[in-house]
Amino acid sequence: MPQKKFQHFRTRLFIFLAVVGPGIITANVDNDAGGIYTYSLAGAAYGYSLLWTLIPITVALIVVQEMVARMGVVTGKGLADLIREEYGFRITFILMILLLVTDLGNTISEFAGLASGMSVVGVSRYICVPLGALIVWGLVVEGTHKLVERVFLVACLFYIAYPLSCFLARPNWTLAFLNTVKPAFHFDFPYIYMIIGLVGTTIAPWMQFYLQSAVVEKGVKIKNYAYSRWDVIVGCIVTDVVALFIIVACAATLYASGQREIHDASEAAIALGPLAGRAASLLFAFGLCNASLFSACILPLATAYCVCEGLGLESGINKRLREAPAFYSLYTGLIVLGALAVILLSEQKQIPIILLSQVVNGILLPFVLIFMLRLVNRKDLMGDYQNTRTFNIIAWTTCIVMIALTLVAVAATFFPGNHLTG
Amino acid sequence: MIYFTELENLPVYDVKGHYMGRLVDLVVDSSQDALRVAAYLIKTRKKNTLCITHEQMQSISVRAGQTSVPQEAVRCYSPDEGLMHIKKDVLDQQIIDVNNRKVVRVNDVDFDIQPTDGHTELRILAVNVGWGAAIRRLLQGILAKHVIRQISGLMSSKTIPWGFVNLIESDPARRVKLRISFDRLASLHPADIAEILEELSRQEQKAVIESLDDETAAQAISEIPTKMQADLLESMPAEKAADVLEEMPADEAADILQEMPPETSAELLADMEKEEAKDVRDLLGFEENTAGALMTTDFIVLGDSATVEGAIVGLKYYEGPLESVHVVLLVNKDMILTGSVTLARILLAEAKTPLSQLTSGPLISVNAHADNKSVVDLFHKYNLVVLPVVDEVGRMLGVVTADDVLELVIQRK
Repeated sequence: MPQKKFQHFRTRLFIFLAVVGPGIITANVDNDAGGIYTYSLAGAAYGYSLLWTLIPITVALIVVQEMVARMGVVTGKGLADLIREEYGFRITFILMILLLVTDLGNTISEFAGLASGMSVVGVSRYICVPLGALIVWGLVVEGTHKLVERVFLVACLFYIAYPLSCFLARPNWTLAFLNTVKPAFHFDFPYIYMIIGLVGTTIAPWMQFYLQSAVVEKGVKIKNYAYSRWDVIVGCIVTDVVALFIIVACAATLYASGQREIHDASEAAIALGPLAGRAASLLFAFGLCNASLFSACILPLATAYCVCEGLGLESGINKRLREAPAFYSLYTGLIVLGALAVILLSEQKQIPIILLSQVVNGILLPFVLIFMLRLVNRKDLMGDYQNTRTFNIIAWTTCIVMIALTLVAVAATFFPGNHLTG
Repeated sequence: MIYFTELENLPVYDVKGHYMGRLVDLVVDSSQDALRVAAYLIKTRKKNTLCITHEQMQSISVRAGQTSVPQEAVRCYSPDEGLMHIKKDVLDQQIIDVNNRKVVRVNDVDFDIQPTDGHTELRILAVNVGWGAAIRRLLQGILAKHVIRQISGLMSSKTIPWGFVNLIESDPARRVKLRISFDRLASLHPADIAEILEELSRQEQKAVIESLDDETAAQAISEIPTKMQADLLESMPAEKAADVLEEMPADEAADILQEMPPETSAELLADMEKEEAKDVRDLLGFEENTAGALMTTDFIVLGDSATVEGAIVGLKYYEGPLESVHVVLLVNKDMILTGSVTLARILLAEAKTPLSQLTSGPLISVNAHADNKSVVDLFHKYNLVVLPVVDEVGRMLGVVTADDVLELVIQRK
């Protein structure tokens, strides 16, 4: 009997491993260069006191991502496909242009993150950025879907750098734990902006497009959907646990020593050096480089998927260059432009582009969330897999809160001196 | 010629010149005429949907439509699943371009305006998938129609004549009502059908496969990746899946069944014809990456006392796939392999010649437990087309054919 039970467990484990990937990968890319900076800043400026926000953020992320994964499994179509079929060409086209703009900005941030992470160990951006661009480009263009996904999963493992770095910083764990489970809210504007920044960096439109397309390309079957849901849930939790370690590491060192302002993520890495030791600093910088490179690969990929689906062009990592020219041109174009911007433009000149991309991101998100919610409630598309009533209440509330916070964040970017969603 | 983008939102007036509403969709009744627009759906100011039949439409142009009857004579629209709606079912949907063997998304639909005894008919000409049509969609309703025509005229126009369009409807009942057939698709090469299948979602794949005959379906499925094969067959009704598996070479059927959960593959095997199921079961017993797993049990075997005459008669009764016909295998009464003769030699020899005189060189065979690499090496070394697989005592089990080895080599690269 135990033998049989074990076999049963083993089969289930195999199915899970066959389905796992898209959810974990998408969630991890969320901790990109911008995300790491935001979490570092939250830790440096407010210590442990913002940790409680991670729990509601995780729940919101799971709620949103679960719905798109479900749509991907049930319909076998990407989100852009579905939006095109239900809402027509014009809206889809506008969404695609917006996604293109915001993801170009994000790609620039990623390469900038790579450059600043590498600067900690003294590597010039003129070397690491072109090299990084070439690596991510070659991986997707030459690799198969399976290989690419494996490389991505390995990249996910490297996020262990943050917990390690955090342990080296020797934080006050009791305090960290108490602040995670006990919400504490202050009514002052910088504090609220910081919360918005944390939320804004967690849920971005590309994630919905990417997750759904990745689930579709993976070919997950409806009867295995439960495993896919675990993929999403585990991914979201792991991601926010990593975020927690980043905040705690910065809280234990930067905040504790009174260094409460940092201007990019590598500054946090450097500042960790004297406070928690060289190893912690290097781990932090390594994590930043890994995250930046990883995201610099996924963001252009997500965009290429979305645009090609919307226009009805062939897409997919498994396709050859000749079979899906538009897909690979878009992917290549975004990487080349992103890398070139970091190599050629000074940091001052990159800021307007990145700000614009955040504003566009904020405009795009409400549309994507609303379209998504309406599509997931379509009986003819989803059959028995529509949202339940209770889930709909949770989902709509989450999305409305998300939209409201994002719009405030967009408004905030117009006021100088705020780089909260950085 | 007129585009759907120009017809959408077109104001429509009745015979007295009273404004009735705006055109929202066009309806085609495939049971009567697959090309003619049978009815025009109009949304009135009060948000009612009216249905103007083709006989009631006096004239239609880029500026306006006019009916030949007063407003009161036009009936309200009641939704009908059996009718094809241009906007709902065609525009923005994926279709199969049979001519270019591709799956594309529809940007616009082109119509021909035809005056027909006293009224005007619209007939579908083609679907438009080019950039010109995309620009029309973007600018529709923003710029004047003649300006849009000029701008879109500058871009490439890619049209697919309606005759080469295959709609993809995943609901089988509706497919019948809309008279969607995959006849044209079925005439394509199975490898091309396979490429189209890879572009579609699982429900759509199912729709296409279910409408093909078993043999074509089996050939097309053979060409798609193994994992997708298993998923697709699993999602189909067991009976149809079993029929398709029967049509496949036993080794491929075994590969697919191996990808499925044991309950499903057992169910499919039970649904298959006894003989085919047995061959597949035998193959399933071999470990992965061995000659036994690679081989097929479809091959031609004759007693080693047979003559050329006998061989030719025997060949006529062969029913399996053709790739293993290149060689006729000779066995003794214990099914022990004693020789192999190529088809060419049989055809060139005298009718009375015993086959055992036609064998050439030493007999090459491989043990069922040998690994894939040694199979590839044998093919390479002896320039084989077919390699017999035997058990420990030399009894015939099956053959490995060159196409399987080629696939193996390509996969490795």
